[in-house]
Amino acid sequence: MMPRSRQRNSPGESTSSSSSSPERQLVDEEDPFLRIDDDSQTSIGELGGFRNMAVSSAKMEQPMGPISRLPPELLMAIFSKLSSPVDVRNCMLVSKHWAACSVELLWHRPYFTEFPRYQAMVGSLLQERPFFNYPTLIRRLNLNFIAGSVNDGSMSPLVRCNKLERLTLAGCTHLTDNPLKEILAANSRLQALDLSQMENITDESLLVVSETCPKLQGLNIVGCKLITDGSLIPLSQNRRMLRRLKLNDCNQLTDEAVFSFAENCPHLLEIDLHRCHQITDNAVNSLFNHLRQLREVRFAYCDLLTDDAFLRLPPNKTYESLRILDLTDCGLITDEAVDKIVKMAPRLRNLILAKCRQLTDRAVLSITKLGKTLHNLHLGHCNHITDRAVRALVQYCTRIRYIDLACCLRLTDASVSQLAMLPKLRRIGLVKCNNITDFAIQSLTRRANGGPCPLERVHLSYCMHLSVDGITDLVENCQRLTHLSLTGVEAFYRRNDFTRYCRLPPKEFNENQRAVFCVFSGVGVKQLRTYLKSLKAEAAGNNEQVGTPVLRPRTAPDLAPDGFIPPGMLPPASTLMMAMPPNPGTVLGDGGGGGGGGGAQEEWDESTGPQDEGASEGE
Amino acid sequence: MAGKIILQSNDNASIEIDRDVAERSLLIKNMLEDLGDIDEPIPIANVNEAVLRKVVEWCEHHRADPPASENDDTDARKRSTDIDEWDQKFMQVDQEMLFEIILAANYLDIKPLLDVGCKTVANMIKGKSPEEIRKTFNIQNDFTPEEEEQIRRENEWAEDR
Repeated sequence: MMPRSRQRNSPGESTSSSSSSPERQLVDEEDPFLRIDDDSQTSIGELGGFRNMAVSSAKMEQPMGPISRLPPELLMAIFSKLSSPVDVRNCMLVSKHWAACSVELLWHRPYFTEFPRYQAMVGSLLQERPFFNYPTLIRRLNLNFIAGSVNDGSMSPLVRCNKLERLTLAGCTHLTDNPLKEILAANSRLQALDLSQMENITDESLLVVSETCPKLQGLNIVGCKLITDGSLIPLSQNRRMLRRLKLNDCNQLTDEAVFSFAENCPHLLEIDLHRCHQITDNAVNSLFNHLRQLREVRFAYCDLLTDDAFLRLPPNKTYESLRILDLTDCGLITDEAVDKIVKMAPRLRNLILAKCRQLTDRAVLSITKLGKTLHNLHLGHCNHITDRAVRALVQYCTRIRYIDLACCLRLTDASVSQLAMLPKLRRIGLVKCNNITDFAIQSLTRRANGGPCPLERVHLSYCMHLSVDGITDLVENCQRLTHLSLTGVEAFYRRNDFTRYCRLPPKEFNENQRAVFCVFSGVGVKQLRTYLKSLKAEAAGNNEQVGTPVLRPRTAPDLAPDGFIPPGMLPPASTLMMAMPPNPGTVLGDGGGGGGGGGAQEEWDESTGPQDEGASEGE
Repeated sequence: MAGKIILQSNDNASIEIDRDVAERSLLIKNMLEDLGDIDEPIPIANVNEAVLRKVVEWCEHHRADPPASENDDTDARKRSTDIDEWDQKFMQVDQEMLFEIILAANYLDIKPLLDVGCKTVANMIKGKSPEEIRKTFNIQNDFTPEEEEQIRRENEWAEDR
């Protein structure tokens, strides 16, 4: 009787079934951009070619423990449970049989955080008579962690690796076309290629990809500013399997390239054209006219786009697969386009309309038609929006997990009270919603249903009226809180006893920005919670005596030496303006699509990145 | 209705179990789907009575587990060597039995049991030097000192995650 799904090999046979190939058991913590759905053709089990494979004869010679009865694929299954490469290497040194069964696991996806380690690996690749044929074992290579150190010289030995399936060179800014072209030319199995931020790479490299990588599904060339239509058009014509494209900041790209992708790549699911400034309505029309199954589309900062990008699409045609649409700072977009978008993409889960400054309550009312499908909504800087819109939103879109309403200056405590009713709300962005008071915070923490507060990330920077009491309430009642931003809230940033729990301001911040920076995350939140609790207890104790509340300025021992401003007494507006980041428009980051650096973007960008979406995609 | 099934080990012992318990084995499940209801004992050619009883014990305990979803393959748990308490106790057997269970789980296609078995062995490997591993599993070192040194050198780059 034979099992139908799995053959049992007798010990010593060196074939292995694909069902136990180690790479399927590796946890994929790489950029989800490189995630390949179901089509990884990687196969382990080309052991036959190795020299020194005297496995079966070695077995006969001496009695061995019962583990010797396991066929190679079961031994491999065991090794694949080892999370530490050092353990796997130790297995390699046990015996020839064990070496043969573990070598692929160790080399399948080499991992480096230190450049000397990479150099040592390259040294093995260059061996005259290596024990195993290492270069052909590498399937996935990610040099992101050592990107700054890699140069043409240290890269060129990789040309021996001809079975790469995923190659991530993100941030290897010193690399040029020359070694890269050779490596790409040798790798016809490549499925995912990440060349992001490689500013020296030109069309020459991509033309090689266009010629030699028939299996390519994911291409990331974010920030490769030298790339033009000259390589992208041939690439789109030859690489019809493409599913994921990230072309952010490739600002030489024009509509022509987009037309060509739309016409030639029927499997395209995701396309990111963030800051491809030359893109027009015609490109958007072409994508949607050709590709019905698009899942994720990003046009952030494509500032030529108008309502026609969507209004010109045929009526009654729907895009059931579309989950994510990013129109950050497409400033010409109006309520009319939003209404059309909601009609054509009824299953949108993540809608980013930050800085679409013309939008009004009407747009939000259209959005409510998405109902329970909507999980993430970004309306930052849409400052026509009022409490009325928020109320409607909460009424219909009850599954919202993340909402950003930064700089929606008309919103009041009433909006926050409404948002507090969203049972799944984990992240809320209210940066610069200046009307918000402690009352709003209170309503956030007192859930209508009495359950635990689901909030994890709360952004309240520049909400000037918030006091220590309000925030104490928040951190005490939201036990799941992992991120709290209070930049520019003077009840906090001016007090050293609070800011000592802050994380450090981003490097690129200037002095003024540093002065007001106040973001608590992870363990910082916990420390703040403990500290606020102790202050509260102390205050309660003091109040029993005759009135010196600890929160009053200059009574607590550890106040900032330089003039703590009592809560409620705002400094003159001019000093506040100076304290803010130079371009207020950037306070909220870039829409999350590009995954740019930290800085003020921290205010929200972590929450809508592709990672985040990936997490909720499974539901 | 949950009928009874009789399994017959390769040393001719008959073990009667509930059908849903037997169906933890995809091999048996598929076979029953093909054959419909059968009264004769099902021969399990590669497994002896002691091992089969042990495997059945595991299937009884896990009879109500939710079926593994497709996603489990890529799940983070996959590589972790955490094992639940009952399973840990269950796996406290001599190596002879441990590897027989693994082989039987593989043959009978009981993926979660195979997983627990592999994790148990992985835990026995973790943190040990090559020599300690050889001792633990009674494995002969068939490398020449030069070969061992070569492999060590060529794979020195591997760092801990």
